[in-house]
Amino acid sequence: MPIGGKKQLPIAHEKETAIVVSSLSGREWDVSGSWNRMFESRVLSDYSYAGLGKVAALEGGESLEFCYGCGKCIPVCPVDLVAEYGPRKIHRKVQTGMDLFSSDDLWKCTTCGNCLRVCPKEVNMIKIMPAVREVAMEAGSVPDELQVVFEKTFRYGNALGENPRRRHSWTKGAGVDVPVLGNDPRHVDVLFYVEDYWSFHPRGQQAAQAFARLLTLAGVDFAILGAEEKTLGDSQRLAGERGLFESLMEDAVATLSKYEFDRIVTPDPHGYNALVKEYPKHGHSFPSLHYTQLLADLVGRLPIKNPLNKKVTFHDPCYLGRHNGEYDAPRTLINAIPGVEYLEMGRCRENSYCCGGGGGGMWLDGFNSNHLSERLSERRVREAAATGADILAVCCPYEVSRFEDAAKSTGNEQLQVLDIAEMLDIAVGGLDAVEAMMAESR
Amino acid sequence: MANTTVAVIGGGPAGLAAGASAASLGSEVVIIEKLPFLGGRPIEENYASLTPYLRSAEEAMGEVIDHALSFENLTVMLDSKVIAVTGDPGDFVLEVQSGEEVVSLTAGSIIVATGFQHFDPGRETQMYGYYEFDDVIALQDLEAMLKEGRVQRPSNGEEPKRVCFVQCVGSRDRQIGNEYCSKVCCGVASKEAIEVRLAVPGVEVFIFYIDMRMYGYWESQIYWPAQEKHHVQYVKGIISEVLPKDGRLLVRGEDTTMGRPMEVLMDLVVLSVGMEPSMGTREIAGILGIEQNKYGFIEAVKGPLDTVATSREGIFAVGSALGPADLEDCSSTGGYAGARATAFIRSHAKAGI
Repeated sequence: MPIGGKKQLPIAHEKETAIVVSSLSGREWDVSGSWNRMFESRVLSDYSYAGLGKVAALEGGESLEFCYGCGKCIPVCPVDLVAEYGPRKIHRKVQTGMDLFSSDDLWKCTTCGNCLRVCPKEVNMIKIMPAVREVAMEAGSVPDELQVVFEKTFRYGNALGENPRRRHSWTKGAGVDVPVLGNDPRHVDVLFYVEDYWSFHPRGQQAAQAFARLLTLAGVDFAILGAEEKTLGDSQRLAGERGLFESLMEDAVATLSKYEFDRIVTPDPHGYNALVKEYPKHGHSFPSLHYTQLLADLVGRLPIKNPLNKKVTFHDPCYLGRHNGEYDAPRTLINAIPGVEYLEMGRCRENSYCCGGGGGGMWLDGFNSNHLSERLSERRVREAAATGADILAVCCPYEVSRFEDAAKSTGNEQLQVLDIAEMLDIAVGGLDAVEAMMAESR
Repeated sequence: MANTTVAVIGGGPAGLAAGASAASLGSEVVIIEKLPFLGGRPIEENYASLTPYLRSAEEAMGEVIDHALSFENLTVMLDSKVIAVTGDPGDFVLEVQSGEEVVSLTAGSIIVATGFQHFDPGRETQMYGYYEFDDVIALQDLEAMLKEGRVQRPSNGEEPKRVCFVQCVGSRDRQIGNEYCSKVCCGVASKEAIEVRLAVPGVEVFIFYIDMRMYGYWESQIYWPAQEKHHVQYVKGIISEVLPKDGRLLVRGEDTTMGRPMEVLMDLVVLSVGMEPSMGTREIAGILGIEQNKYGFIEAVKGPLDTVATSREGIFAVGSALGPADLEDCSSTGGYAGARATAFIRSHAKAGI
């Protein structure tokens, strides 16, 4: 409390409405919750280097104290549009006494990297967050639902807790032969690293099947790891489980070293990020591509014939675009489909708005529902719908389910969410096309 | 017979640069300094080190003095003050009070290098209690302490655990009359903050500011290292009241970033006082009849592209006699004015006046 000799009573705010809306940006502040009377300490009575020092002492945490308060990060922080957040605010809160290690603020960051893009001082939340989360996790201070995902990943090798032997059950519906390297250990061109959500999530499986058909139609020699595949675990790493990531990496490297292949192709931008950025740091280098990059090279070989007379907009995944600089491959593929009217959202490319799934956010929807006025995916879907698009095209396995849920919850059922692989599959004729091709070869 | 002498009034960083410049170009130079030593404020006020490289002020100024004195055609009058000037451009006559006697000397051109003085914190509208509390000091007081190799609370001689700097004391203030930014205080305060951090193990150092004005290279030379390497805490929001509290100082202000009042205990409060024209600058302007601006500094009448010309032909002004200036400004304007004064004398000689 105040130490100025003049005692000041705490300020009580009577909250009459639960939502305050900005008339300019449309930003909403949710002030609802179990409290409708909030007590705030009015006077800042201490500043200390202690909190910043604790963060700076961690490998990766050095740059939080670099903040000079310009505030450029705040308008581009996706979480700040639905809450009070962003690196500058965190820096100041820590400077005035907040313990980041035990704060809920620690888990809201999706590591989307938009703040770092604009930060003149290179305050790097992509490094700060995992470093602090790791310590918090070791102290047992981690949201329950995230802890459950860590445990599932540890036990089953996938975040969904699915039976690892069912990892390639999706291949049955593909209509094409999807070889598993363990059964047929030969040299292949493309090792298709399916990752969790294309392996197990029903909507992801449809995209995986579509992609397998496209590979077959383009004449690509490919195979999968099947039951031997484990997640690359990059989002688990960013959520604070570096140890789990490293043990998954050891397993993956041991498996991969058994087989001969020219390159790894994965649909998951997070896995792709791990392969191109994290693995080399540990001495493991595999030529790796995101699946849109592979297909963009092969698009001329795809027998595209069906027009798709729809308006289409596209959501850049943070870990493909901002983190790894690939903006063109997905757009090349969408625009290769005849009939498509392509529409760009206001927040696109470098300034793409995060779907909320990265950095552990995929597994924190319950936690975040207590802290955010709406989900980031809902915010994004409303932006997509505002373009007038019929289809929201995606190329990250997290997004189909996130955006489909969000389309329903925001009343935008008319907006269809499709993976780019699914759209191309429609354009080439899907199952009919592969059946025709097989009939021809017989 | 044309007069080939350049009279430089003031022997600080700018005057020494002007004198050396004119002498190196062949002019006869006389530097007239009112104190019994050369070096100006950095020496008179016991600066520990110079911004931004933290070089010892005595050592660095010693080199500048030695360089000036190395010219045979440059002489120095210490303990000397110009009391009257007559004559015309190209043929000025200066009456100089030198010790007990009054000397008369002639000069073709005059360079005014009479400098600044530190703002007197007693004039602040904010209640900082500079004269009331021993542990409220100004930048130059801390410099003097650092020069002696110590950082202590004047009240009890103990090492401080928490030190803060309050920026913009006596600057950017319409009521005080100093509407200008004093230009160097952000850098100097940050430099001293680094030195305090290095001198006292575990000390916490805060800088309360309105805007950080780290122009040019000082941003990455001083501000960023202070924050990133030396962990100086910058808080946006100025202190406007200092109160005694249990043997310490309670500083009160508004944290403008958080939009909340702040009340924090400190052991040592350092006021980042700004620059004002020195008494010498005010007096010499009257003696020479050259224009001053509303703040009392010498007016550079030709503006940004001619930084040293005054309202009288043959008279140039340099360094902080012209306004808030850092050392770069002092040596740049000094060197330039030395050349301009020499050129003026020569053109005058050619014209046969």
